[in-house]
Amino acid sequence: MNCKEEAIALMHKYLDDHLTQTEEKKLRMHLQACQECQTHFHELKRTISLVKSSSPVSAPQGFTSNVMANLPKQKKRNHYTK
Amino acid sequence: METVIKEKIKQIKKGNQAAFEDVVSFYQNKVYQICFRMIGNAHEAEDLAQEAFIRAYTNIDRFDERRKFSTWLYRIATNLTIDRIRKKKPDYFLDAEVKGTEGLSMYSQIAADQALPEEEVESLELQTYIHKEILALPPKYRSVIVLRFLDELSLQEIAEVLEIPVGTVKTRIHRGRETLRKRLRHV
Repeated sequence: MNCKEEAIALMHKYLDDHLTQTEEKKLRMHLQACQECQTHFHELKRTISLVKSSSPVSAPQGFTSNVMANLPKQKKRNHYTK
Repeated sequence: METVIKEKIKQIKKGNQAAFEDVVSFYQNKVYQICFRMIGNAHEAEDLAQEAFIRAYTNIDRFDERRKFSTWLYRIATNLTIDRIRKKKPDYFLDAEVKGTEGLSMYSQIAADQALPEEEVESLELQTYIHKEILALPPKYRSVIVLRFLDELSLQEIAEVLEIPVGTVKTRIHRGRETLRKRLRHV
C-alpha cells in the first residue's frame, strides 16, 4: 500500500467513521506492518483528543439578558381581548 | 429539546418576544463557543454571538420550521464571524491572536470543577496552545474543525451550516486535522 496516498486517506476515513469493513481490514494490516503509518495514525488520534478536550467555553454572565435588552421593539403585539 | 424549541419559535413568530429568551439561554454557550474559537478573543466573540441572536430574531420569519433551528442559527453565527475575520487587517489579526488567550483564564476556572477527559490538558498553558493552533488555521479549515470537534456536528450538518458540499467538508477536515497533527505532535 502506498502510505502517503492510500493509507493516510484510509486513516481519515476511519476518523470520519466512513470506513468499510474491507478498508478497515486493509488499514489494520498495513498499520501492523508500517511503523511510520502507525505513528501517523497515533498522532492524528491524539490531535483529535487534544482538540476535543480543550475546555468548553461558556457565554459570559448576563449574555441572555443583554441579547434581550438589545432586541428591536416588538413589531406585533399579543392582544388578549375577547 | 428540539420539540420545545420548535414550540418557542412558533410563539416568537406570533410576536411573543419573551419566548426568545429561552432560545437564547439554551443556545448561548454553543453559539458563543463557535464565535470564540473562530475569532479568538472573548470581547469580539460576545459581540458576534449577540449579533447572531439578534439577526436570528429579526429574521425569524425566514426560518423554515421543517429544518433544524440550530443549523440555521449556527449558519448565521459562522457567516458573521467569517465576515469579521475577512475584514480584519492582517496586523490587527495577528494582534488579536495573541489577545485570544484572554478569555481562557475565565473559562478555565469554570472548567476546573469538571473532570477533564485527559489529564494532560489540565494545564492552562496547553489549553492556550491548542486554542492558538486552532486560530492559526486558515478560516475555512478553522470553521470545520470547530464545528466537528468542539461542537461535535456531523459532516452532513457542517455541510448545511456552511452551505458547502459534504465532500468539501471532508477535505477541509482532513487538511485541518493534518495541519494540527503537525503542530501538536510534540506537545
